[in-house]
Amino acid sequence: MTLIILGLGSSALAQTYNTFEPSKTQFMLRGYGHTGFEYLDTGGEQESTFLGATFAPIFLYKHSDKLMFEAELEFELEGNELKTGLEYADVMYVLNKHMTVRAGKFLLPFGTFMERLHPAWINRLPSRPLGFGHDGIAPASDIGVELRGAFDLGGPKLNYAVYVTNGPRIKDGSEEPEEAGMLDFGYYEDVNKAKALGGRIGLLPLSDSSMEWGISAYTTNSTGAEDSDYKDVGAFLWALDLSYVKSITPLQGVVDIKAQYNSSNVDTATYYEIEDGISEPYSFDNQSSSFYTQLSYSPIMSGSDFIKQLEFVGRYSDFNAPEGAEWEEKSTQYAFGLNYWLSWRSVVKFSYQTTKMEGGHDSDGTTRTNGLFVHWAIGF
Amino acid sequence: MKTTTNFKAAIILSVMASIMVACSSNKKPIATDTATEVAGSEVDFKIEKSGAQLWGEVCNRCHIAPSPADYNDTDWETISLHMRVRANLTEEEITKIESFLKSAN
Ligand code: HEC
Repeated sequence: MTLIILGLGSSALAQTYNTFEPSKTQFMLRGYGHTGFEYLDTGGEQESTFLGATFAPIFLYKHSDKLMFEAELEFELEGNELKTGLEYADVMYVLNKHMTVRAGKFLLPFGTFMERLHPAWINRLPSRPLGFGHDGIAPASDIGVELRGAFDLGGPKLNYAVYVTNGPRIKDGSEEPEEAGMLDFGYYEDVNKAKALGGRIGLLPLSDSSMEWGISAYTTNSTGAEDSDYKDVGAFLWALDLSYVKSITPLQGVVDIKAQYNSSNVDTATYYEIEDGISEPYSFDNQSSSFYTQLSYSPIMSGSDFIKQLEFVGRYSDFNAPEGAEWEEKSTQYAFGLNYWLSWRSVVKFSYQTTKMEGGHDSDGTTRTNGLFVHWAIGF
Repeated sequence: MKTTTNFKAAIILSVMASIMVACSSNKKPIATDTATEVAGSEVDFKIEKSGAQLWGEVCNRCHIAPSPADYNDTDWETISLHMRVRANLTEEEITKIESFLKSAN
């Protein structure tokens, strides 16, 4: 009897232990949150506010060594509204050593900022450089398919990505006349048969992977609806990016340099401006560009535990929107920051930012905006 | 205007395509040459980087590198596949880094 009980007991025990074996499929829930306080002085008008908090859960499902699904939801409190978004949702499959296919809604490898550097726990400053984000000229994400991969060149490394997506929609001015001629990359529904085709090549010339140069291109033959006057308005965009991250002993720390230049060329078209009830046609050379470069330094080799966690950041960025457009603008911005890293994915950022904008949406003159920010971000 | 943009697009995309083709066709000879020539020699040690060294060089290019102890083995497997694709790492890099992370946590 005791033997039977013992026997049963040990097999039950064995079963319990068995549940600790890793399962073949794996599911992970990760993500990040961020919030902050900002004080802004726009041409003498001051405002200050605690920012609506953002919570972004990330779902990773690994089906096998080759097949995986990733999705990120975004919840953000904007004023009194809860804004939700699907940042990405795509499936990836490793075809071979040098080729992975992705399909769904994914972040576009147009330069590196949007795909690799924009999450709040990665971005060294609370704000994005000019030219990215709302009304930016760089495409951030889209729905389509992509092939990507990397090659070891015996020291140097090379990586590539090519994709086909639904592409942007041109704002024809019928809804927002002041934005006529802008490309709307956040319009995911396909407005026509033409697709956008893009790619990036990244080269890491040094064997320690400290430096990467990238060139990206993005083109589409049509940005207007099939039956509209804007059907034949095509667009061509390109970007150059640089990253350099190196631990430098004489400097007792890590130096991190990032830069990206974006250029956008949209075919010339005629838009309409309503003045005194009369519709006036106008046109302009639809070319925009933006640039940023950022330098940060963290004294990780310092003997002091406090100083080790600090990081100093400086960033310059500029943005040029086409002359003659309702959204004509020339802006330059300097941002300086001091970060305190609590862990590899959680940080408190203090920063000062000054922006000089000529033109822009609702003004003709020059506006200077100075801002003080305290943000925190945590990844989990 | 239209023709010039399409022309530029064609040039840039074909340059990209040819670089890719050049690299994929170059790949084999380079790999086998280095492998056979330096196998067992002193140089081998310099070329063959350890997982720990690669982790130090690769995982801090975009964000601060996590430590092996931050996750368990199962999580590292998922993260490694995620980073392999997102960061466009080579198979050699990620395989070595993954085994280092799993051995040192
Ligand atoms: C080319 C840039 C880049 C490199 C190199 C890189 N990462 Fe990441 N990593 C990211 C980005 C971007 C995210 C955020 C993913 C998201 O939130 O969508 C991330 C997220 C993570 C996360 C959070 C969980 C997850 O999978 O999202 C871990 C852990 C991580 N990286 C570990 C690593 C390790 C280990 C390495 C070295 C093998 C590495 N990373 C190299 C860009 C990079």
